[in-house]
Amino acid sequence: MIKAENIIKTYNGGAVEVLKGVSLDIKEGEKIVILGASGSGKSTLLSVLSGLERVDGGKVFYDDKDLSTMTEKELTEFRRNTVGFIFQQYYLLPHLNVENNVKMGADLIGNKDFREIIKAVGLENKLKNKPAELSGGEQQRVCIARALAKNPKILFLDEPTGALDEKTGREVLDYIIKSQGERGFTMVMVTHNLNIAETADTVIKMNSGVITEVYHNASPKTAFEIGW
Amino acid sequence: MIISLKDGLKLFGIIIVAFCAVFVCTFFLNFYMDAVEIKDTVTEAQQPLYDAQLATARFTSAISGGFLGLIAIVMVVFYIKLYVDGHMRQLGILKAMGWSNQKIAFRFWVFGLSIFIGTALGFGAGHIAMPFIYEGLTIDTLDIDIHFHAILLIMLVFVPTIIYSLFACGYAYFALRRPVNDMLKGRVEKKLKRRKEKPAKDSKERSFLVETCFKTLGSKKLLAFFVAFACFCFSAMVQMGASMKQLSTETMGLMILVIGIVLAVTTMFMAVTSLVKNNVKTVSMMKVFGYSMKECALSVFGGYVPFAFLGFVVGTGYQYGLLSLMVNIVYKDVAAVPDYNFNVPVFFITLACFIVLYTAVMAVYAFKLNKVSVKEVMLEN
Ligand SMILES: Nc1ncnc2c1ncn2[C@@H]1O[C@H](COP(=O)(O)OP(=O)(O)O)[C@@H](O)[C@H]1O
Ligand SMILES: [Mg+2]
Repeated sequence: MIKAENIIKTYNGGAVEVLKGVSLDIKEGEKIVILGASGSGKSTLLSVLSGLERVDGGKVFYDDKDLSTMTEKELTEFRRNTVGFIFQQYYLLPHLNVENNVKMGADLIGNKDFREIIKAVGLENKLKNKPAELSGGEQQRVCIARALAKNPKILFLDEPTGALDEKTGREVLDYIIKSQGERGFTMVMVTHNLNIAETADTVIKMNSGVITEVYHNASPKTAFEIGW
Repeated sequence: MIISLKDGLKLFGIIIVAFCAVFVCTFFLNFYMDAVEIKDTVTEAQQPLYDAQLATARFTSAISGGFLGLIAIVMVVFYIKLYVDGHMRQLGILKAMGWSNQKIAFRFWVFGLSIFIGTALGFGAGHIAMPFIYEGLTIDTLDIDIHFHAILLIMLVFVPTIIYSLFACGYAYFALRRPVNDMLKGRVEKKLKRRKEKPAKDSKERSFLVETCFKTLGSKKLLAFFVAFACFCFSAMVQMGASMKQLSTETMGLMILVIGIVLAVTTMFMAVTSLVKNNVKTVSMMKVFGYSMKECALSVFGGYVPFAFLGFVVGTGYQYGLLSLMVNIVYKDVAAVPDYNFNVPVFFITLACFIVLYTAVMAVYAFKLNKVSVKEVMLEN
């Protein structure tokens, strides 16, 4: 589904090389976890795989379409129709309530059933609350609803449980994995928590901008079976 | 020290508004004071024009001084709010270290420096422009010589500087009165009003874009005021300047025109820049989700369009009212002044320029918004 060939990403006019030739192949419906220490280039990898940023070398393919030759408009179109994103810091819009935050995703595809999704994440009685009135776990659940409301084919998650305590972290992770099972989208999750890697089909280990190891889990665990 | 002199010096909005206000007031008040001194030599034939000129000087000074002075106060509030919100954490640390509110607030006097620079430059420029103005206001054979009045220097430069510095300290003291803990955590929002949102009566639901339009507007009401003011200045002063060519001298008209454009551009620039700054996160999230540049720009700027046009309309009415008042009341006994009617061609030309300029400014800033890098926002934390 997504294929990266020897991608290179630099910043500050080439002075800092963050991705130093990364190649990977992500299959449809797969659960991928990218594991690596802070600063190893995980977030950068997500941003080039999702079409947020362009690579400086190498190629990224989505179903045989080359992202690096797409125009800005085509990239926007690609993100709109294909990609969903969940971040560690939530990035909800502070002046909009839960319902309207989720609408941000839903409106893109004319989804009128987004309240069902809010209900599914257990926030049906917080529809009118602002993000600042919610706990961290609740905010992250709004983010999940917001991302799922646009029905993405690939969901990118950048340390989705990084700011949560163990209990809420497990709940959120469980909900993410369950939705993936039900909807069958492809999932690429970044984390530095080794335990979380056990929930993945495929684990990609990164260090200093290169992939050091790739392995598969024969039987991925659930969010409540792993350590934390 | 966290509030440096530099912070107080770079408030261009305030500098320019103060400059314009004092520039206009300087030569009109100077003219007034010089003209009053020769009142015994005025002949009966010269009396109506003499009275009218004095009234104009007083009137124009009062209007531009009062009005722009008020705008300057709003701007000081705006800048301090921006500064306090932007430095919430640092200010919180100072408070946590045991600085009192008074001690921190006192440092905000530097915000009065911009007023000093603006008024001092305005005073100087006013004196440079004075010979031309006196020429324009001349009354037949009456010779009015230019004298320097120290009292004007004090009243137009030093007194405003002191008043605005005190005001800045006072307002900062008020703005700093919130719990240290909230400040350290960077919680900028005011106490969330637990007001229930009105249940939408109409079954038609607002889309996300319309909702963000409204909420952006609602969260920055002061900016709507500045947008309206910028458009008001443009509309009123460009039209007035154009009509002035027939009513008074070309220099006078040109001066009003230039002041209007400068005020409008500065205020607009200030408003839109801070609007963009405030919405960087919203826009980058919208981009992540696949909203286009047009949709992002609409959600940020869309809500302000009605205020822009409101400002334009009010400005048009204002200049018409003001010129009618001058011609029909102040100068009614003066034979040489032509009739004044609403200038329709000028109105349409100004409107066309306004629409073109407004669209251009929005396009430039939409482009700027588009340059927002999502990665930079992600790196922030
Ligand atoms: N936009 C950028 N400009 C400059 N340097 C960057 C930028 N983005 C990332 N970096 C640098 O690249 C390295 C990897 O960053 P990142 O991908 O965020 O790592 P991770 O997510 O694994 O912690 C870091 O050293 C970071 O400072
Ligand atoms: Mg990261």
